[in-house]
Amino acid sequence: MYSFKRYRKFILPLIILLAVTEGAAIICGATFGKLFEGLYRGIAFFGNMYPPDWSAFSEMLEPALQSIVIAFLGTVFGALMSIVFALLAASNLSHPWVRAITRFLIGLERSIPEIVILILLVAAFGLGAMPGVVALSLGCIGMLGKLLADIIEEIDPLMIESIESVGGNKLQVIVFGVLPQIIPNIISYTLFRFEINIRLSVLLGAVGAGGVGYELDYSFGMLQYHRAFTAMIIIIAMVFATEQLSYYLRKKLKMEGALK
Amino acid sequence: MTVFSIVVVAVALACIYTNFNPLGIFMEFHYVRDLVGEMTPPNYHVLSDNSSTAMAILQTLSLAFLGTLYGGVIAVVVAFLAASNTMPFRAIRLTARFVLSFLRVIPILVVILIFVIAVGPSTFAGMLTLVIVTVGNFGKLFTEMIENVDNPPAEAIFSVGASRMQVIRYSIIPQILPTLIANLLFAFDVNIRAAIGLGIFGGGGIGFQLQLAKSVLHYKDVTAIVSLIIIMVIVVEKISDYLRRKILGEGKLR
Amino acid sequence: MLEVKNLTKTLPNGRRLLDGISFKVKKGEFVGILGSSGAGKTLTLRCLNGLLKPDSGSVIIRDEHDRPLDICKINKRELRRVRQKIGVIFQGYHLVKRLSALENVMIGKLGQINTFRSLFYGFTDTEAEQALKALDKVKMSELAGSMTGNLSGGEMQRVAIARAIFQSPTLLLADEPISNLDPSNAKTIMKMIKPLSEHMPVIGVFHQPEMTAKYCSRVIAIKEGKIIYDGDPKLSNKRLEEIYGEELELIEQQEHLLAAIAK
Repeated sequence: MYSFKRYRKFILPLIILLAVTEGAAIICGATFGKLFEGLYRGIAFFGNMYPPDWSAFSEMLEPALQSIVIAFLGTVFGALMSIVFALLAASNLSHPWVRAITRFLIGLERSIPEIVILILLVAAFGLGAMPGVVALSLGCIGMLGKLLADIIEEIDPLMIESIESVGGNKLQVIVFGVLPQIIPNIISYTLFRFEINIRLSVLLGAVGAGGVGYELDYSFGMLQYHRAFTAMIIIIAMVFATEQLSYYLRKKLKMEGALK
Repeated sequence: MTVFSIVVVAVALACIYTNFNPLGIFMEFHYVRDLVGEMTPPNYHVLSDNSSTAMAILQTLSLAFLGTLYGGVIAVVVAFLAASNTMPFRAIRLTARFVLSFLRVIPILVVILIFVIAVGPSTFAGMLTLVIVTVGNFGKLFTEMIENVDNPPAEAIFSVGASRMQVIRYSIIPQILPTLIANLLFAFDVNIRAAIGLGIFGGGGIGFQLQLAKSVLHYKDVTAIVSLIIIMVIVVEKISDYLRRKILGEGKLR
Repeated sequence: MLEVKNLTKTLPNGRRLLDGISFKVKKGEFVGILGSSGAGKTLTLRCLNGLLKPDSGSVIIRDEHDRPLDICKINKRELRRVRQKIGVIFQGYHLVKRLSALENVMIGKLGQINTFRSLFYGFTDTEAEQALKALDKVKMSELAGSMTGNLSGGEMQRVAIARAIFQSPTLLLADEPISNLDPSNAKTIMKMIKPLSEHMPVIGVFHQPEMTAKYCSRVIAIKEGKIIYDGDPKLSNKRLEEIYGEELELIEQQEHLLAAIAK
């Protein structure tokens, strides 16, 4: 009564999937059973990190501020750079070659994880906030550059034509024709990127940018796990507050945009 | 306009606070020039010298793959437990939602450091981290996908006397399957970049090799490794894009 | 045979949506329920298969051992068993657009198939053959393999009817089955539903009195939660005005349209 012929077409893909999974599992030392054992151990350890070391709380506040500031600066400068890149990458504003090269650069940047950028910058400039800010700024280009370039390409061409027809040069077209239309988008995407950059700032902090990420890594290194738990709580609070702020500002922006 | 000036003042204060000079990069460009000098030409012999670099690339790909696969499956299961139209028991639903929210905000740094201690520094630790990260990133999205499914067919299927599981299998799953797979492919793309970063903290793979090369100041190796990383990420991205277009495009045409 | 006794449903503010609905239907009857919007027709229909629970009253149906069961009072498990034998057609067709027409028809028997098997194996070839026969009855067998989302409204409703036929039901319910269709498709659907009433009672909610006049064997009119008419499907103008009030003009327009199509 039950014929399994219908499932024949699934056999080959399934075998490939299983083979790849098995190969990957061998390479990682992670068979299915070990998965749950590993997760369990992680959760158990996490439980041991509780309760937080409240005395360390005040020590973490300034590093937290540092991380926030690094993310903030990284986002602002990153947005500025992304605007430039986006203008160069928009087909309705640039020479096709310029556009192609810029789009390639944007794509290239998207392929480099921000951590790798940071490692290179630390190799050049040493530890500190500076490589962190630069790494985050460059990191914005991949996302904001592409998003803004796409938006610019979709704007009403009449705006550009009208300024060109009254004799405006390229720069005037950009300032008076393009930018006013895309400012809400810039702000909205930048706020979104800020959320991402806060998380990155924590991660990069542990690799040399300083801030609360460094504190977290340091605590782990010194086996002070309760202190690490405190750092984690502060980070979670930071991230959560940033998300709420970003969400609130973006909503307010949309409402004001709608009123216009 | 006032908003603009507030931002400018804030930026200025921030720069002073962190000793960040925006023009610093250009003023101290000689550091960059020196570094580039040391970094070129890239040493691709890292691939052939000992097999560890080539192996490391495989390791990163494997851990991203497994992390996405296992993480995706767990995310889907938890999403079904958290969705209001598939889980009638409020207690389970709220617990599932809480778990998803928690995993979403936990810093990835904490997760990798915990697993490095719990199971030792290895690709296994990196993979476990990605499992947690994937559930955190996609769990809520999947829950919303399940809840936003067309309801009328479900009503009809209940009307023929089917059970809840049958409704899930025949109404909900066919509707979300293409988007689900597309998202998992996207997750793989995101995870491969994360996997590189995790390697630096003990997660194994090419990230670890990068950190290693840098710490012994073998900058030519560093360049080679960075270029390999870029190639790897681009390849994964292209494959992921291609498969996603094939699935979603086919979905639309179907 | 179906017996409906005294269905009532009251809103918190006191307004009665259903006020003592009672009627009996047996095999061979094609009942059309008419009424203006909000009169309570759809509510009544949904009480008949348990999609809605009334505040009081009963819906009595006979199970396979000919024992009477009150749908309003049975538990979930028994309700599922009863529903296996009740076919429902909806205004919005309620098909799974991503599945093929054939699969949608086979879904009709999900209540009667072992859950485990349906989840992991799917449907047997025998079931597929029978589903194809059901599609044949609605003249959709050529489109059996096409994705339901690509079908037209009339085609989708025919697939829905095939799904109901496939269940081998003892009762067929239809919730405004032709309201989303153009007049010619509507006629086709009515022509497909009518012969089914030879094997089982068919109860349908309609907004089109000219259709019920032509195809139904009996009409029940509901106004403000009460039955105000139960009898011959051909309604006089005075009756129609009683039932619909101001909506009458719309209906007259439809009548003209239908007459134009019939030519």
